[in-house]
Amino acid sequence: MSASAASVVERLRARIGVAGPPTQAVVEAGHVKRFAEAIGDANPRWAEEAPPTFLVALAPASLHLAEAEEYGKGWLNGGNRFDYFAPVRIGDRITATGRVAEVYEKSGSSGNLLFIVFETDYVNQDKVLVARLRGTAIRR
Amino acid sequence: MKLEVGQELPELIKHPTTRQLVQYAGAQGDFYEIHYDSALAQGVGLPGVILHGLLKAAFLGQLVTDWLGDRGALKSLEVSYRGIDLPGRPYRCRGRVVRVEGDQVELEVWGEDSEGRRTTVGSATVELKG
Repeated sequence: MSASAASVVERLRARIGVAGPPTQAVVEAGHVKRFAEAIGDANPRWAEEAPPTFLVALAPASLHLAEAEEYGKGWLNGGNRFDYFAPVRIGDRITATGRVAEVYEKSGSSGNLLFIVFETDYVNQDKVLVARLRGTAIRR
Repeated sequence: MKLEVGQELPELIKHPTTRQLVQYAGAQGDFYEIHYDSALAQGVGLPGVILHGLLKAAFLGQLVTDWLGDRGALKSLEVSYRGIDLPGRPYRCRGRVVRVEGDQVELEVWGEDSEGRRTTVGSATVELKG
């Protein structure tokens, strides 16, 4: 691992647990419709509520970390986990707050990889935590 | 509803196109160029534009919600992206019941490319209505 890679990892680690700026967005019928069309899911249920992965369209699913882009040359999505606690309905006003949960390096077959795990909480207008997303972003 | 361990979900076959990738990029607001700019995708070592991981997650979400209908609620959906997928090839979404405990059902879900490789693997939990 080069000295600059080490410092990128250290700088990212310093951000673990620090909440990013909250994003507020309304679950709009037209947006949900365009999203359902884009994923090719014609379930009539999406006229009333949001399909399971729609939350990622409401607010960025990861914080913008300029320093991470000093590492490797591109991003890959390693995985996502959604936990659902309450339905997300058309018209809900959702506040999304993201944070960095974990930062680690692994050596891969074509060089080192940097893993950044983001967590985002989605809270509705009644202050109910409706869902939590965990996403693993990889720099390679 | 009688659910048994080992029972398979009806499979869902998707036919993603480059047009769909652009549509999805717009709907999600993810404008990372590897999903629509093949020169840029090749520049970072990919064979061409690839499917968004979250689009494959959406396909697997649909697999579960189509099967579940109004019999219960999806409580979690977890996916790991193990391989890249290219547009213009069918994407086969499959799943099976791995655990039933009272009203809690755990599913294994996965997506296969046209060669039968599991490029996305994951799990889902659902809570059945009483």
